[in-house]
Amino acid sequence: MSKKHDKSKGLTRRDVLKISAASAVAASTPMFFVKDAWAQKAIGNFPVNGPTVTYGFNVPLTSIYADEGEDELRAYKLAVKHLNNGGGMVETLQPNALKRNGVLGKKVEYVVGDTQTNPDAARTSARRMIERDKVIMFSGGSSSAIAIAQQYLAQELGVIFMCGLTHSNDTTGKDKRRYGFRHFFNAYMTGKALAPILSKEYGKDRRAFHLTADYTWGHTQYQSMKDFTEKEGWTTVDNIMTPVKTTDFSQFLTPILNSDADVLILNHYGKNMNNSLTNAVEFGFKEMQKNGKNMEIVVPLYSRLMAKGAGQKNIEGVLGTTAWNWTQKDDDPGSKAFVETFEKEYGFPPSQAAQTCYVQTIIYSDAVERAGTFYPPAVIKALEGHEFAGTGPGKTLYRAEDHQCFKDMLVVKGKSPSQLKGKYDLLEIVSKVKREDTVYPVDTFPGELGPYEPA
Amino acid sequence: MGIINRGTIHLTVFALIVLTFPFWFEYTGGYAGLDTKIIIWAIFALGFDLLLITGYLSFGHAAFFGISAYATGLMLLHYSSNIIEAMIVGVVVSTIAAVIIGFLTLRRTGIYFSVLTLAFGEMFHTAAVSIFSGLTGGENGLTGLPTPTLFGEKMQGSNVFYLCAIFLIIGFYLARRITRSPFGLMLKSLKSNQTRLEYIGINVQFYKNSAFVLSSIYAAVAGSLMVIYEPYVATEFLEWKTSGTLVIMSVMGGVGTLFGPMIGAAFMLYFENVASVFLEEQWLLALGIMFMAIVVYLPGGFVDGYKRMMRHWVKKNQA
Repeated sequence: MSKKHDKSKGLTRRDVLKISAASAVAASTPMFFVKDAWAQKAIGNFPVNGPTVTYGFNVPLTSIYADEGEDELRAYKLAVKHLNNGGGMVETLQPNALKRNGVLGKKVEYVVGDTQTNPDAARTSARRMIERDKVIMFSGGSSSAIAIAQQYLAQELGVIFMCGLTHSNDTTGKDKRRYGFRHFFNAYMTGKALAPILSKEYGKDRRAFHLTADYTWGHTQYQSMKDFTEKEGWTTVDNIMTPVKTTDFSQFLTPILNSDADVLILNHYGKNMNNSLTNAVEFGFKEMQKNGKNMEIVVPLYSRLMAKGAGQKNIEGVLGTTAWNWTQKDDDPGSKAFVETFEKEYGFPPSQAAQTCYVQTIIYSDAVERAGTFYPPAVIKALEGHEFAGTGPGKTLYRAEDHQCFKDMLVVKGKSPSQLKGKYDLLEIVSKVKREDTVYPVDTFPGELGPYEPA
Repeated sequence: MGIINRGTIHLTVFALIVLTFPFWFEYTGGYAGLDTKIIIWAIFALGFDLLLITGYLSFGHAAFFGISAYATGLMLLHYSSNIIEAMIVGVVVSTIAAVIIGFLTLRRTGIYFSVLTLAFGEMFHTAAVSIFSGLTGGENGLTGLPTPTLFGEKMQGSNVFYLCAIFLIIGFYLARRITRSPFGLMLKSLKSNQTRLEYIGINVQFYKNSAFVLSSIYAAVAGSLMVIYEPYVATEFLEWKTSGTLVIMSVMGGVGTLFGPMIGAAFMLYFENVASVFLEEQWLLALGIMFMAIVVYLPGGFVDGYKRMMRHWVKKNQA
C-alpha cells in the first residue's frame, strides 16, 4: 500500500479529480503552491485554500433540545462576527493571539446543520459539513450521546470537534477523543459542588429518589449524584431510567409517592426537565411532607432556558448547578463583553449553552493563531494544557490528558416571583464554586484519547 | 429476442446511473457520504416494495434493518473488523427474526397487520434500549466500532460506496426477476383477491411469508451496510420513525414500481440533507406539505407523475 494518499484510502475518485485539477494548475503556474502546504500532511480538510475558512455549527434545531440549539446558533453567529471584525471576548481574552481580521488572515464563514437531537442525523449532518462544505472545525451540542457520536466521527475524519453543551462524564472520560474538546463542565463536577450544599440546606439524613434520562449523560449524572450525596450521608432509595422522548412523567412519579423518599432528584435536561418538574409540581411534591420533612426537588443541571420553560412558580427554591449565568456580567470583563454584545445583537441575554459555544469558537480560533496553522495536530497541541482568562470568571485550563476544561461554576436556586428583577433574572446564585474545588484526577475515568493523526 | 432486450437495457442503464452517481452527484449539491447513504436506503426501499406488491403494509421494517445493524455492529466490535462474517451474521439473525415475526403477523391483513408489525418493531426498539442496553449501548447507540475491513482493505469513502452500489444493482436485478416470474405474479395476485387464490388450492401463507422474508433480507443487507458505511449503530435504526420514513419514501416514489421507492429514498435524503440547509428548522414542515400534496394529487408517486407526463407528451405529439 502506498502511503502517498491521504487517509490511506487508496486512490479515490476525489483524488483523481484533485490530481487532475492540480496537475493542470501546476503545469500552468508552477509558483502557485505555497511552501507550507507541502510541509504538513493533508488531514481532514487541511490545507485550507482560498481567502476564507469555514466553520460548521451542528446544533439541535428540532426535538427536545431545540431551545438550547437555537441559542447556541446565535452565539456561534456572534462569535464569527467578532472574529472577523473584533468585539466581545475577542477583546478580553488573555493571552490573546486574535487579529480581528478573521483567522490567519482568512475571513471566517460558517455553515449550519440540524442534529434533530439524534446521533445518526447529527453524524449525517456533520459529514455533509466536512465532505461538501469543507469545514476545518465543527462544533455544536446539547446532548452527550450526540457529542460522543460526533467525537468519534471527528477522530475518524481528522476534523476537530469543539463540543458545545455536553455534560456527561463520558465525553471526556470513557469516550474521550484526541479530536474532541470540551469547555463545559460535567456531571462529576456537578455532584462534587452540589452535594455539600444539599446536605447543608436539607440535612444529612435525606432519602433520595432519582429520575434519570436514559442515555450517557443521565447515567453518569445519576452515578455522580448518587456517589456524592451518599458521601454526605444520604440514602439512595431508587432510580428510574426514563426514555429520552418521554413527555408525560406521571407513570414514573407514582412509585416515588409510594416510596419513603423525601428528595426527588431529576437528572433531566431541556424539555425533559420542563415536563418532569411540571408533572412533579402538579402531583403536589412541593407541598408534601415525608418522614416529617418537606419534600424537596433537585435539578442537578440547570439552565436559565429550562427555568423559563418550566415556569417561575415551579422552579422556585429548586437547587442545581449551572456553568455560567448572564448575571455574572458584573463579575469579569469577558462575561460583560459577551453579555453586552449578545444583548445588543438579539435583545435578550445569552444562556450557558450560548456562552460555552461562543468560547469554544473563540478559543479554537485563538489556538489556530498561536499555532500559526490550521494543521489539526498543531492546533490540538496548542489547545492542550492551555490556560486562559477573559472568557468568564477566573482562569480556565484545558487539561491536556482528557481535553476537559476546568473553571469556576455556579450553584443556583430558582428565584421566587417576588425576587425577580426582570424577565430573564430567574436564577439566584447560591455559591460561586472555585475551579480548585471541582478538579479531579485524570484517572477518575478510563479511556484513551487516540492518535494525533487519524488512522 | 436476443440478449439485448428491454430488461437488459433497463438493467444496464440502472447500473450505469448507480455507478456514476458520485461523479455527477456533487454538481447537484450532494456530497460524498450522502451518495452512499442514498444507495443504502434505496436497497431498503427496494426490498420493501417486494412486500408492498402483495398489498401488505408493514410498519415494522425498521426491526430487520436495526437487528441486522446491531448484529453487524456487535460482530465488528467483538469478533473481527472483517465485514464478511459480520454481514452474514447480520443478515442471518435478521432473517430468523423475520421468519418468526412473519409467521405471527401474516395471519392478519390490512390495518391489523400494520399495527402488529408496528408493535413488534417497537418491542425490539424498547428491548434494545432497556433490557439489552448492556449489549446495545442503550440510548447512546453502539459506539467505538473499528473501521470495517474487507480482505485487509479499509472500508471507507468510495470503497463503501461501490460495495453498496454492487449490492443495489444485484438487488435490483433479483427484484426484477422476482416480480416478472410466476412467483412474482402470485405475489401480485395476493393483493387482488386472496380468498380466490385460496379456493383454487394455493398455499397463500407460503407466498406471503416468502415475500415478507425476502423483503426483510433486503432490509437486513441495508442495515448491515449502514454500519459498514458509518461504524456506529443508532437506536433510531430500530425505531418506528425509520419504518415510517420507509413508508413515506415508498409512497412518494410510487408503490409497486421498484424504481419508485428508490427514487423516493433518494429524494427524501437529498431533501433532508441538502434542501434543509436553506429551510433550517422548517424542512420537516415543507416535507410534510409535499407528502400531502403527493398523496392527494399524485397517488402513484413520482413514477406515476412521470408516466402521466409521458402520456401527455405522446398525446400532444399525436395531435
